[in-house]
Amino acid sequence: MSMFRSAMRETALNLKTRPGARLVTLVMVALAFIVFDTFLIISWNLQSIMDREHGMVGMEVFLETDLPEPGGRLIGDLISGMQGVQSVYYVSSREAEALFRAELPGHTDLLEVMGSDFNLPASLQVTFDNHSMTRSELDEISRAVEVMEGVEETVYGEDFLPGLIRTVASIRKLVFLLGILLVFSISMVVFYTVRLSVVRRALTVDIMRTVGAPWWFVRIPFVVEGVLMGVAGSAGGLALAAILSAILSGAVAHRFMPLSWLTLVILLGAVTGTVGALAGSYERERRR
Amino acid sequence: MLVKMQSVKLSYGRWPALDGINMEIGEGEFLVISGASGAGKTTLLRLIWMGDRPDTGTVEVAGFRSEKTKKSQLPALRRKIGIVFQDFKLLHGRSVYENVALPLQVTGAKDRTIRKRVIALLARMGLSHRSNSYPHQLSGGEQQRVAIARAMVGHPVILLADEPTGNLDPEVSRQVIDLLLEINRGGTTVVMATHDPRQVPPGKGRFLFLEHGILRGADMWPEIEGEK
Repeated sequence: MSMFRSAMRETALNLKTRPGARLVTLVMVALAFIVFDTFLIISWNLQSIMDREHGMVGMEVFLETDLPEPGGRLIGDLISGMQGVQSVYYVSSREAEALFRAELPGHTDLLEVMGSDFNLPASLQVTFDNHSMTRSELDEISRAVEVMEGVEETVYGEDFLPGLIRTVASIRKLVFLLGILLVFSISMVVFYTVRLSVVRRALTVDIMRTVGAPWWFVRIPFVVEGVLMGVAGSAGGLALAAILSAILSGAVAHRFMPLSWLTLVILLGAVTGTVGALAGSYERERRR
Repeated sequence: MLVKMQSVKLSYGRWPALDGINMEIGEGEFLVISGASGAGKTTLLRLIWMGDRPDTGTVEVAGFRSEKTKKSQLPALRRKIGIVFQDFKLLHGRSVYENVALPLQVTGAKDRTIRKRVIALLARMGLSHRSNSYPHQLSGGEQQRVAIARAMVGHPVILLADEPTGNLDPEVSRQVIDLLLEINRGGTTVVMATHDPRQVPPGKGRFLFLEHGILRGADMWPEIEGEK
């Protein structure tokens, strides 16, 4: 019998003991993950909303009325080369008038009042990379564009955009902190459960050590136990969170997490289980 | 020399368990270490299988020196040692066969080798008919024989027996001692710790006496000397 097979057999024997205590641990891990999952769902939905809003906020660069179209397009090329700029679209005077008529159909008489010689200025519609812009970067781009020859003025969401960026950043930090807190707390739960397992199997562990079993052979049943509890707990938490999400979807419109996030949550469960199990089995060994 | 201890001292907290131990055990010896409870017999055996390390001094066992042997090297040492305990320390959820096979399973021996060795050893111990029994179904003497079989299955160079008859009646104790003597005759070094050295017939082994963690020769113990 290979050592690995023997180790797996020991693992199976370990898992057969204390099913009640293991169930309690699983429930605790799952509950901890529900809290985390709920927060992830909220942040995922907020993030989606903010990304969408953020994407809609751009800068409008009004060009001087006497600037010919090639000159306007040249300015557009210069702006598109700036850091953080995603796209630049040239809106001709004619397009601007068409847009005005389409968006404000009740105010077309204003154009008639201004006379046939009046033309709306051509402009450039600039969009930014959603995640990389800061307030100072936006101000800097605005200043750089305004000093260009042929540019009349720039307009962008000066009050709205920086606050949005700060909110997104804060939420990310909060998710990160919560993740660390979760890793720590679940590791502790698994740690104590595995330590109980080690105590429960103290005779087996002692005998294995005295007959010359290598350290990994002695520890593997506890590590597998920890990993299984972490994975099963996180999966259970996700399942419960999915049920809650489905129940609440009628009252609050939202989306569940994407597949990549689900994978990460399961991975987090495995990591916390492993950390807790290794610490639990090591701590017990250190005391002996 | 299979075991060599030089100026060994070990304390558990403030309590000195062993002090100034100098001792050698040769290959093929039958050594009886006796003394009252708390004299340090178990501690001495633990030093041999390196369950403990000395505070000062050196213990050398089958080429492994206590101050140089790393934790990762301990399994290699322990595969050369068989250990028998007073309370047998059999795993209750496993059959006799599984208990005896354990030391081979943890070292990665092949199934066929394990089966061959375990069956042969159980036959030698007169336990063939108990192969599928569980420890709680056995008498004390049978349990101790299973423990000895487990200790011997890996062909150790040294067998440590810590009060192997402590939980057994006189008749069964005699059988266990006979078994240990037979193992010794096969060439395995046996170190037996006991509070009652009279269990081992005079002339069958070397006797040492531990008193408050200090090792005395057999001549320091008139009762033993007298029986010789």
